[in-house]
Amino acid sequence: MKQQVIDPFQAVGDPNRRQMLRLLSRESLTINALAENFDMTRPAVSKHIKILYSAGFISIEDIGRERHCMLKQSGFKQLQQWIDYFDQFWAVKLKKLEDLLSEKAKKL
Amino acid sequence: MKKMIKYNWYFEQSPETVWRYLTTSELMAQWLMNNDFELVPGREFMFKSNPQPSLDFDGNVYCKILDIDPLKKLVYSWKIMQGEEKLMMDSTVTWFLIPKKGGTELILEHTGFDNWKNELIFQAMNKGWDQNVRVKMGNLFNTKPQNETTGN
Repeated sequence: MKQQVIDPFQAVGDPNRRQMLRLLSRESLTINALAENFDMTRPAVSKHIKILYSAGFISIEDIGRERHCMLKQSGFKQLQQWIDYFDQFWAVKLKKLEDLLSEKAKKL
Repeated sequence: MKKMIKYNWYFEQSPETVWRYLTTSELMAQWLMNNDFELVPGREFMFKSNPQPSLDFDGNVYCKILDIDPLKKLVYSWKIMQGEEKLMMDSTVTWFLIPKKGGTELILEHTGFDNWKNELIFQAMNKGWDQNVRVKMGNLFNTKPQNETTGN
């Protein structure tokens, strides 16, 4: 499969794909079993799966004759990294503001 | 995983002073980031910070003022792009100022991760990985031994 990089925000922006992840968070499913939960064509299901796969949310493994989809960590990790980054960012900035204001107060 | 970023910070200075540091471009640059902020409803502005290559973040934050309640509340959008037009993060930053003990309690809420980060992710974090590992283990036991010992 050609690896096209899709950002995780885009991947989970679609309600069908979120539902797919929700189902997969309970158990890994074959593509067929996953498709049964959705009122859409198989090519449409495959397209969503491909997007989730490209964004690193799921992995696909051939087990026996079936293709199994399961959650993968990297897509979630990237989201987590952004939040962690800004969490840290704000803590540093607020401290800086505090220092700046108290410094200013001393001068007065 | 957190649902939002939130900080409560106490400053000994008055809300008027804290407000000035939140809403004056030159003062914001001193503690936050370089910017072209102007305290005008609907005003679009930008913050520029250092690029973060590990996140593929160019350091630019695109904002728009969504709400102003002088000395009490300031809300702006907080967007990050990747490349020319790919929206990477579409979030909101809200500042609340509350007079307290002669100073100011400043509350920062950075929210809007919900469209992708809802309960499913919490579920996934808690349950999915275990399962993922179990399936993989099951695979290993059912197939020929492999040299690979770690998943990807």
